[in-house]
Amino acid sequence: MARMKFICDAERCIECNGCVTACKSEHEVPWGVNRRRLVTVNDGLPGERSISVACMHCTDAPCMAVCPVDCFYKTEEGVVLHDKDLCIGCGYCFYACPFGAPQFPQAGAFGLRGKMDKCTFCAGGPEENNTAEEYRKYGRNRLAEGKLPACAEMCSTKALLAGDADVLTRIYKTRVVTRGKGEEIWGWSMAYGGSGMLADQPGAKA
Amino acid sequence: MRKLTAFAAAFAAAVVFTGCTEIAQEPGKSYAGKEDSKPYAGDEFKGDKGKWEATLAQRSKGQDDYARIVSEKK
Repeated sequence: MARMKFICDAERCIECNGCVTACKSEHEVPWGVNRRRLVTVNDGLPGERSISVACMHCTDAPCMAVCPVDCFYKTEEGVVLHDKDLCIGCGYCFYACPFGAPQFPQAGAFGLRGKMDKCTFCAGGPEENNTAEEYRKYGRNRLAEGKLPACAEMCSTKALLAGDADVLTRIYKTRVVTRGKGEEIWGWSMAYGGSGMLADQPGAKA
Repeated sequence: MRKLTAFAAAFAAAVVFTGCTEIAQEPGKSYAGKEDSKPYAGDEFKGDKGKWEATLAQRSKGQDDYARIVSEKK
């Protein structure tokens, strides 16, 4: 297996917020925290596009680099996760993240920040798989059940894709070739380095 | 003079080959938290990584609606 990644196909996203709702519902994310959200550019104008944004599980994750308590780790599948027992809620990761992925629940009066919460690629966290403790802290571990993230599986237009990078690039290539446009893969160059164009991805050559 | 030339050549080669070095993609920081269990370690897959990967690959391919349309037409 290569690496687990998300692709959001801006040509297909219809801004239905199904991914946002699926994530909220699947993990019972607290009020005020959005692990996934939709960003719309040129709203109401010709050329309007919407993109579903969450943690991109970067190759060289800036959140990992700046964390003062080293609570981040990366799994074999390339999923960036963190240990909430260690997190001190300092917010450095929020400032470092180019996607605004880290979220902080309010933990008290005067805007006191709680422990950081972010997209886990539905892979839980550093607790025993599918235990109540893991669910309470990190949400459901769908990866351990052999399932893909709820947001991508819920997407009605299949704009949001999740899974092995090689498979995703092949799917995306078919789409680009069929419709004849939209080669740019949003967020890839920032999250994984190199080019964000489909033709430059290894899986697209096959 | 020959020694100096050899040294200069070796130095130049070292400088040139430094450009070929691949920079590590993984951050050099350590993780201080708890060890996570593997996603295929639970009751569902009983440590069978191959079976887990095959299940996920099947799910990933299910996202390809063009392939699904073709298979449904057959």
